[in-house]
Amino acid sequence: MLREFRMILRRPALLGLVVVLPVVMLLTLAGIFRAGIPTGMAVTVVDLDRSDLSRSITRMLDAAPEITVREQALSLSDARAQIVTGHVRGAVYLPQGLERDILRGARPEIVIFYDNQHMSAGSMVARGARGAIDTAVAGLRLSIRQGQGEASVQAMVSIQPIPLQAHALFNPAFDYVHFLLAALVPTVLQIIAAAATAYAISLDFGPGRHPQVLARMADGVLPAMLGKILPYTVIVLLILGLSDIALYGWLGVPLRGSLLLMATGAVLFVLSTQLIGAAAFVLTRDMGRAASIIAVITAPAFGFMGLGFPREAMSQLAQAWGAVIPGTWYVQLRIDQSLRDTPLDISVWSVVWLGCIVLALGALVLLRLVRLRREIEAKT
Amino acid sequence: MSDILTALRTELRGIFADRQVRLIILAALVIYALIYPFPYRAELLRDVPVVLVDLDRSTSSAELARRVTASEAVTLRHDAPDMITATRLVQERRAYGVLVIPEGFERALLRGAQSPVALYADASYFLMYQRVMQGAAIPLRQMGAEVEMGRLIVQGTAPDVSLAQVSPVAQIEVPLFNPAAGYATYVLPAAFVLILQQTMLMGLALVASRRGSGSGHPVWRVLGRMGAWVMLYAALLPLYLIILPALYGLPNLGSPGAVLMLGLPFVLATGLLAQCVAALFRRGEVVQVVLLAVGLPFFFLSGFAWPVEAIPAHLNWIAQIIPSTAAIDGLVRVSQMGATLPEIGHRLWHLWGLVVAFAVVALWLEVKARPAGNADHHSA
Repeated sequence: MLREFRMILRRPALLGLVVVLPVVMLLTLAGIFRAGIPTGMAVTVVDLDRSDLSRSITRMLDAAPEITVREQALSLSDARAQIVTGHVRGAVYLPQGLERDILRGARPEIVIFYDNQHMSAGSMVARGARGAIDTAVAGLRLSIRQGQGEASVQAMVSIQPIPLQAHALFNPAFDYVHFLLAALVPTVLQIIAAAATAYAISLDFGPGRHPQVLARMADGVLPAMLGKILPYTVIVLLILGLSDIALYGWLGVPLRGSLLLMATGAVLFVLSTQLIGAAAFVLTRDMGRAASIIAVITAPAFGFMGLGFPREAMSQLAQAWGAVIPGTWYVQLRIDQSLRDTPLDISVWSVVWLGCIVLALGALVLLRLVRLRREIEAKT
Repeated sequence: MSDILTALRTELRGIFADRQVRLIILAALVIYALIYPFPYRAELLRDVPVVLVDLDRSTSSAELARRVTASEAVTLRHDAPDMITATRLVQERRAYGVLVIPEGFERALLRGAQSPVALYADASYFLMYQRVMQGAAIPLRQMGAEVEMGRLIVQGTAPDVSLAQVSPVAQIEVPLFNPAAGYATYVLPAAFVLILQQTMLMGLALVASRRGSGSGHPVWRVLGRMGAWVMLYAALLPLYLIILPALYGLPNLGSPGAVLMLGLPFVLATGLLAQCVAALFRRGEVVQVVLLAVGLPFFFLSGFAWPVEAIPAHLNWIAQIIPSTAAIDGLVRVSQMGATLPEIGHRLWHLWGLVVAFAVVALWLEVKARPAGNADHHSA
C-alpha cells in the first residue's frame, strides 16, 4: 500500500487523475448548480389590448420570480421567432378587446406559449405565467363579487370552494441543488474511480510490463489486489467526504438520516466502482479496451439512476441494467438518507445490494487473477 | 497540395488502422445509440401512483377521488388510514404523492364554506412532482368551479353569466415544441450531439497522441487532417443527428442543409480541440479518462438541461469554449424547433470563431512539437 502511495506521488498523471480531476469536476458541478432554483426566464408579451388590465397583467408577470418580461412582441409570429432564436423562453398572448370582453362576460382567451423542447426552462415559464395570470384573474373575480356587494372575506371563500394546499414532500425548499448535486457527485466519481483504478493496475500488470509481478504475489493474490486498490479507496473516500462536507455543510443540504448507513454505503460504493475498473482491466489486459468497457457502463449511468426520468417508469430491462450499476443504489441511498429520512429497514436494502455487487465483482477479479497467475507459472 | 493529401491519408489510416480508435469512433456509435436512449423509451409518465387518505368518507370525497383517478397523470392506487402509513408508502417508492381529504370535507362544502384539500407530492423526483401536482390540481380546480357555479345558479344567476363569473378568462397553455412533453424528445437530441463530440474528441486525440511525425509544412498537415475529419464525419454526423433521431421517432422540423452547415464548423472545432487535448495530456489513456469524466459536466454546462439563466456568468464564459455548448443549442433549435440558419447565425459564427482559435493553437503546437522539414521520428 505504501508503495502505491509513493507511486501516486511520483506519477503526475496518476495524481492528476485521482486527485486534481475529481476536485475540478466537483467544483465545476457545484458552481453550475449553486443558484439552486433557476429564476428570471425571459418572456415576451404580445399585448394587443393595451388596456389598464393588460398592463396590470404584464406587471404581474414581471413580478413572478420565475419569469422576467424581457420585451414586447408586436405579433404572435414575432414572438415565435424570438422563442426560436432563444431570445426568450415563452410568450403570453393578450388578445384585442380583452378588458372589454371580460366585462361583457364573453370569456376571452389568454394564451401562454412556452418552449417545451428546453423542458426545465419551459415548465418554469409555464408555472410562473400560470401563477401570475391566476392571481390576476382571482383579483378580477374578487372585484366583480365585491362590486355585487359581497363582503371581501365571503368573496374569497366563494371564489375558491376547494382550495388546494400543496406541499413538497422531502424537499420543502424545492431546491435542485439538494438532489442533483447529491447525485451528480457520485456519478462523476464513479467514472473517475473506475477509470483511475484500471489505469493504476495497468501500470503494474499491463502487457509487457513486469508479468513476474503476478508470480511474485506468492503470499496471495488477495493481499496484492487489496494493496493495489485500497489506497485509491482512501483517496476517493476523502474526496467524497470533503464534497459531502461542502454539500451538507456549506450548501446546507439537509442530512436527516443515518450517518453510519451513509458511510457504509459510501465505502461499498467506492469499492464496487473500483472493482468495475479492476475487472475491466484484468479481463482485457489492455487499458484501451478496459476504458471502453468502463465508458459503456459508467458514462450513461446517470440516466439509469432515474433522477430525470424515474426508474419505476422505465422498461424492466432498463431497470435491471440500472440495478447492476453501483451508482444507482448509492444515489438512492443518499437521497433516502439525506432528503427523505427513509426508515432504515427500507433503506438498508440499497446497502445490501451494493454489498452484493462488491462481492460478485471481487470474486470475478480474484478468479481471473488466480487463473492469470497459473498461466504465468505454467509458462516459467 | 500533395502534402495535404499525404496528411489526409495518414490521418485516415490512423483512424481506421488502430483498433482502439475504430472502437471509440465507430463501435461507440452503435453501443451508445442503444444504451443512452434506453432509460427514456417510455417517454411519458402516466398514472403516477398516489396514496389517498380519505378522512371524510363521504359521497363528495369519493367523487373527488374518482375524478383524480380519472386524470391521465395520476392514479389513486393505495388507501391509507393516516399520514404516517401514507408517508411510508412514498418512502418505499410505491407512491409519489399523498392526497388528504380532511374530515368534514363534505359538510363544509354543503355549508358553503371553504373545504380545503391537502396534496403532498414527492419533490425528490421533479418529474413525478410535476405530474402529481398537475394530475390532482386540474380535477380539483374543475370540481371547485362546478361547486361555485352550482351555488351561483342556486342564487338565481343565469348559467352562462355564472360561468363567466367563475372563470372570466379562458386560460390556455400551448407548449410550442415537444408538445407531448416526451422525455426522450427532450434529452436525446442534445445527448446525441454530446456523444458525437465526446467520441470524436477521444478518438482523434488518441490518433494525435499516437501519431509519428508528418512531412510537409505544418499548415498543410493540419489542413490535411481537417480534410480527413470532414470526410469521415460527412458520413457519421448525419448518422447521429439525422438518422438516429429518426429511428427513435423524434420529431424533426429542421432542414438537413442547416444541420450540415452547423455540423461542419462543429466537426472542425472538435477535431482541432482534440489536437490541443492530446498535446496537453500526452498519454492516450489519460485523455480517455479525462474526457469520460467531463462528459456529464459538459452536458450541464451547455445550458440545455439546466437553463443558462441559472449558470454563474464566469462558468458560462468557460462553457462557450466547448464546441458542444454552441452546437447543442444551434442544432436543437434547427432540428427540434425548425430554426433557419439566420435565426441561429450567432451560433454558426460562434463555432467558426472556435475553429479559428483552435486552429491557431493546434498550428502552434504542431510547429512547437515538430518543426517543418525536420522529419525526425518522435514517438508519442
